[in-house]
Amino acid sequence: MALASIRGLTFSYPGEAPALQDVSLELRAGERVAVLGPSGSGKSTLLRALAGLVPHFHGGRFEGRVVVGGLDTRVARPAELARTVATVFQDPEEQVVMTRVANEVAFGLENAALPPHEIWPRIDEALAAVDALHLRDRRTAELSGGELQRVCLAAALAVRPRLLLLDEPTSQLDPAAADRFLACLARLDAAIVLSEQRVERALELADRVLFVQDGRVLLDAPRTGALSWLNRHRPDFVASHPRHASGSDPGSDVCRLDGVAFAYAGAPPVLAGASLAVRRGEVVALEGPNGSGKTTLAKLAAGLLEPDAGTVRRDGRAAYLSQDPGRYLLTERVLDEVALAAGEGRARAALARVGLAWAAERHPRDLSSGERERLGLAAVAATEPDLLVLDEPTRGIDPERKRALAAWLAEYAAAGHGVLVATHDRTFPAHRRVSLDREEARVAA
Amino acid sequence: MRLSDVPAAVVLAAAAAAALLADRVAAAAVVALLLLALCLRAPRSARRPYLLGALLPALGVLVLSPLLAVGGGRALWAGPLLPVLGPLDVTVPEVETAALNALRLAAVALAFAAYALLLDHDRLVSAAGLARRSALAVALATRLVPTLERDAAGLAEAARGRGIAVEGVRGRARLLSPLVAGSLERASSLAEAMEARGFGGAGATRAPRPSWTRLDAAAVAAAPVLVLAGALWL
Repeated sequence: MALASIRGLTFSYPGEAPALQDVSLELRAGERVAVLGPSGSGKSTLLRALAGLVPHFHGGRFEGRVVVGGLDTRVARPAELARTVATVFQDPEEQVVMTRVANEVAFGLENAALPPHEIWPRIDEALAAVDALHLRDRRTAELSGGELQRVCLAAALAVRPRLLLLDEPTSQLDPAAADRFLACLARLDAAIVLSEQRVERALELADRVLFVQDGRVLLDAPRTGALSWLNRHRPDFVASHPRHASGSDPGSDVCRLDGVAFAYAGAPPVLAGASLAVRRGEVVALEGPNGSGKTTLAKLAAGLLEPDAGTVRRDGRAAYLSQDPGRYLLTERVLDEVALAAGEGRARAALARVGLAWAAERHPRDLSSGERERLGLAAVAATEPDLLVLDEPTRGIDPERKRALAAWLAEYAAAGHGVLVATHDRTFPAHRRVSLDREEARVAA
Repeated sequence: MRLSDVPAAVVLAAAAAAALLADRVAAAAVVALLLLALCLRAPRSARRPYLLGALLPALGVLVLSPLLAVGGGRALWAGPLLPVLGPLDVTVPEVETAALNALRLAAVALAFAAYALLLDHDRLVSAAGLARRSALAVALATRLVPTLERDAAGLAEAARGRGIAVEGVRGRARLLSPLVAGSLERASSLAEAMEARGFGGAGATRAPRPSWTRLDAAAVAAAPVLVLAGALWL
């Protein structure tokens, strides 16, 4: 008997076009399923349907039938399904309830009405399963994103679910933290449905692959069959890309930082004597481990911070796109968001360039997370700055969008602008790569 | 030996109440200073917004209320006569009243700051019997204060990154609406995650917690005495 089955599911959020269309599939115990697809394709909605959050939490129009662990989700509420299904969402900050790690793991167990004497042993067991037992008594606010997401995984595992749903759980994590998170999954017995943009890692884990687009399941196949389908139909999801961006004819410096030092108030120095130049016509990838000062250097280059020592010279205007730009939206209409600093004509062109022309009249917060990231990029790029600074722009975007972004940045640079990309992504195409050394916080070309 | 969280919360509430009921400037000052010393035990980066939030309004009351109050007594400073507001004189009784009110306000805000910075809100939630949902809501609101501050900084940075000036009251007021919208969205995401984790289901249990010590019992017994002292003698 299947652990979960979906029959003819078509679902629309209130007032929206269908997010899922005629989806049918079965999940078996212990199966590991990777769900791939472009952002906004319906992957998250599919997971929410399996958790019962669609339709109970979101409302909307629901046709078809979803049965999980013998419970029909039209009748059973998510709280009733919570003993069978556990979910880990994208952003750990938006799912943590309690202030201490142990209490956070206890939350689900208490809700599941576990006998009190079993709760503390179960907490330790779950934390140990994700290599987080040492975090047991820490405050959740003190943890890094990677640590917090592993705590969320422990909280999900503590109830011993038969089905674990993971909705892009590594999209907010750096590669090392993402690897560590995914390594924890490899040891689990539960059936796993993993929606993920880090395709290579997801495919390593999966024994079955779904590809979702426009709310439809285009592919449902074992891993090997899926790889050949992806190679034929969606090569960006499996092919490796050149690390070197196409075409470069660097001109004069658009930005030069010489011997800059910086420390945030009351904290030790982040940068000490770092130097970097970005020339017109080139895309520069700024790499380095967590805490090496990439974001700080990027902000100094963009003029958002002033150095404590050293000099920053810019030739022209700079613009900066922060990490997680989809969170920092300023207006109530997509077109207004981009036109705010660029005017309507440029805004419409920028929206078309990132594939969001269709959403011009929508509320920005109605877009999917990947679409919001692209909206943030459009809002910054529409101002056509001489220096465009992007902080982790590939985090959480699908491989096709990543390739399109790299191509557009190369084109933008070729038009006589400079581009600086602070990134953990060592495959992101650039004309030049520089790395920040954590020990000395200096840039080495 | 350390006070458990629930008795500590009771003592903090009693201290705030005693400061509110106190009639002497010195008494309110002592309570406020003790609470300030308590808050200074929290990490510097964490305590900064709470201390600013507690002390700046109190400073505002201390500075502005003597100018706006109308009362007799020995004049310390005779200011100009303003339309609507009248004379901007400052007298000794007005300064004393302003100091008392400022210290009361500071004490209440510092008691909340100590609660937010130093206590384990989870234990307070688990200790709440019938009002567990309300206690959880308060704990969540407290946990999200630093997040709100971070979101506000992120919004300002996003605007500046696009070349939009965020200066002055009007510039910052422009960020208020997206900040509220972002907070509501965060709250909705959190509610969804809580529902997915079975919150609201029937028959929830509690993880066993350590029982109170004698010090805890003594602190809870002393709390009403502190409030009574504030009302009768301070």
